[in-house]
Amino acid sequence: MNKKKIFKLAKGFRGRAKNCIRIARERVEKALQYSYRDRRNKKRDMRSLWIERINAGTRIHGVNYGNFMHGLMEENIQLNRKVLSEISMHEPYSFKALVDISRNAFPGNKKVELPPKKEGLAILV
Amino acid sequence: MANRRCLSNFTRHCQSLLSSNASVHNLRTLPHLRTIAAFEPLSVVPTSQSHDIRDLESIFVIQPGFLRHFSSGRRNSEGSDDEDDEDHDGGEVEEDEDEEEEMGESSDGDGQDRNARVSNCAVSRSYSLEEKEAEAAAIGYKVIGPLDPLERPFKHREEAFAVVQIGSHQFKVSNGDNIYTERLKFCEVNDKLILNRVLMLGSRTQTIIGRPTLPEAIVHAVVEEHALDAKVIIFKKKRRKNYRRTKGHRQELTRLRITDIEGIQKPEKVKVAKPEKVKVGKLEKEILEKPEKEAVAA
Repeated sequence: MNKKKIFKLAKGFRGRAKNCIRIARERVEKALQYSYRDRRNKKRDMRSLWIERINAGTRIHGVNYGNFMHGLMEENIQLNRKVLSEISMHEPYSFKALVDISRNAFPGNKKVELPPKKEGLAILV
Repeated sequence: MANRRCLSNFTRHCQSLLSSNASVHNLRTLPHLRTIAAFEPLSVVPTSQSHDIRDLESIFVIQPGFLRHFSSGRRNSEGSDDEDDEDHDGGEVEEDEDEEEEMGESSDGDGQDRNARVSNCAVSRSYSLEEKEAEAAAIGYKVIGPLDPLERPFKHREEAFAVVQIGSHQFKVSNGDNIYTERLKFCEVNDKLILNRVLMLGSRTQTIIGRPTLPEAIVHAVVEEHALDAKVIIFKKKRRKNYRRTKGHRQELTRLRITDIEGIQKPEKVKVAKPEKVKVGKLEKEILEKPEKEAVAA
């Protein structure tokens, strides 16, 4: 019965690893080890992805990620990065409001506020 | 010496009674022991001894586990002759008294611990008090409303979102969404919930940001399902060391369907001519207006 389970887990493997039990067993064990490790890595990767997206969203408005988060912390806004990245993607106006709050709270980027175009939101519209 | 012998006989009688019926209920029969002490040939029962008896009684009114432990040490002496017992016990009674007192104190503490452990288990099991349920619900930032008889609470999709926190997870939800959270303890299927820890609200014309939460915002949800997640296989292996472990795990989840978001202005689908301004009175909220999206024709 164990062979059946191994072959079921070995679906989609390359070459003999999906057909021959000796090779499949090794590869399946390795795959399970990788999945154990990657369940922990996924949390790290997702967080860095969210930070990249927030960074991109704030730089449209002339604020970089570090100053943005610092401003939010000053204002005691406890939104986490997952939600902030979702807002930056799907709710641009709300995200601009957040950026403005952060900019007022932590005046690190007031000089760099206006990008050369006439209004930052013109890109979105 | 006579006192010590009386005490030794008395304690032996106690053990014989209590070891035979090792239950707390029978400890209430301890007053009978005074009559037994009266029947003994050697005992005159002076007032000092009655005082000691009461002390011993107070010590004996503890859990029978303690007494069993005590009597097992004594049973060896019961098998031998009386005289030897008396002489043997003569020197031991004092020590035993001390031991009794010490063990009495320690077993009082153990008894209390055992009682505390039992009561903690009972509390974690049933949460009999409604206050406890309310407290636990507040930790998870939800309040259980009444069940759903024949109502249709589901509306069409509205253009408003809320950021809600449940436990330590935050979700950006809108009307009619499904979210999977950790298993919520005190609600059944088809229960209405109120999620009261709302961090942000947004709609077409307004954005309300809380610091950190919004006190007047409420999100209604209905429990759809208490489910188990897909199985993950936890596999650990150390190569060349003959170590391999396999374990399966299914996380318990609850699926909620969001029905309503309260606390924000939701404009009708008919276009409003002017965007509305709202003044901010409190320091906690910040309300900003947004320009109408005229270019986006719905």
